[in-house]
Amino acid sequence: MPVIIISSDSYQTGREIAGSAAKALGYDTIGREILGKAADKYKLPEAKLTKALHETPSFLGMSSKLWKQYLAYVQEACLSELLRDNVVCQGLAAHLYVLGVPHVLRVRILSDVEKPVNQLVSQRGISPDKASKLLEREKQASRRWSLEAFRLDETDPSQYDLVIGLSQIDPEEAVKIIKETVGYARFRAMTYSIQCMEDLALASKVRAMLLERFPGARVSANRGTLVIETLALKREKGKKAKAIKEMAGKIPGVEYVEVHVINDFLRQAAESFR
Amino acid sequence: MPERLSVLLLDDEPIVGKRLKPALAKLGCDVEIFENPGQALQRIAGKDFDIVVTDIRMDEIDGLQVLEEVLKKSPRTKVIMITGYAMMSVAREAMEKGAFDFISKPFSPDDLRSVIAKAAQSLGYSMDV
Repeated sequence: MPVIIISSDSYQTGREIAGSAAKALGYDTIGREILGKAADKYKLPEAKLTKALHETPSFLGMSSKLWKQYLAYVQEACLSELLRDNVVCQGLAAHLYVLGVPHVLRVRILSDVEKPVNQLVSQRGISPDKASKLLEREKQASRRWSLEAFRLDETDPSQYDLVIGLSQIDPEEAVKIIKETVGYARFRAMTYSIQCMEDLALASKVRAMLLERFPGARVSANRGTLVIETLALKREKGKKAKAIKEMAGKIPGVEYVEVHVINDFLRQAAESFR
Repeated sequence: MPERLSVLLLDDEPIVGKRLKPALAKLGCDVEIFENPGQALQRIAGKDFDIVVTDIRMDEIDGLQVLEEVLKKSPRTKVIMITGYAMMSVAREAMEKGAFDFISKPFSPDDLRSVIAKAAQSLGYSMDV
């Protein structure tokens, strides 16, 4: 049965639509409440995972290495939940990493332009013009975040199966449209699509485990066979490949591990200048 | 309803039929193997199979055309698509056109057996894999 992923230019709007769609369809919702469990698993404060979903790395803020690690933890937690069917997922950036899975309906909700402006005006006592500018800045920041985190522009409509603008469509109508669309046979789960989701979940599990020791490791999975790419100096190649194979091989579901070690030219150049 | 499940398997690579026929026969299916889509369609015109398993990418007639022809002739037939070139768009198109399931190659005979068993169950047969 299908999975629905909802993305929106407003977290609150996306959350409301996701909740209503789940209720109308009798599905479960998956959202930021899973971050607590993920934080416990990886022994870090939940706030850091939430922060990673909003901010990009900066000199005084989160380092790039930690940011990528935290996002990998969110991804792993989300994908393991998405192995269940009949769920509506929102708020975990899943639209940027659950790609190519036929039974996933990807929906973008564009919030009513006036509603968030009015909310900001009444909440903060600022002018409508200032509120509009503030919201536009937030939207641009969110777009930059998606590009930096997953190299995808989340505002690009071609990323979605369905885009609904709430300026002209009521939220109730939007839910009806989502309900009708997800009923199309093309979004029904099939052996291939379930396999795609299992592959993504396994790859994310392995990557989340490897990133602390092997930052930048890239993992893909196909029916228990993993292909892992990592950077290393020539002299470290054998050692790193062996360590990765050992670590990845311990994860349930992994049957075979192939490691491609790519020469780290930057580090090599840096070392040769020492 | 006949006791044995009738299955037509169409793949232009002979090795596929050769490997899968014994696996399906073990399930108690009557299996007919075809490598040529035209000949398979001729056979389908003369007989309503319970299950048709078809490759997608073939010369002249592709699996999606076979799917449409089968369902036009016999809407109760369960059509299972198999392909080595699985992509989201093709998978969705096949499901929208009425495929029962979609499997990417390579798969093991056990994988196909469990899908066949599901299709059989939906037709009212009981089948242990």
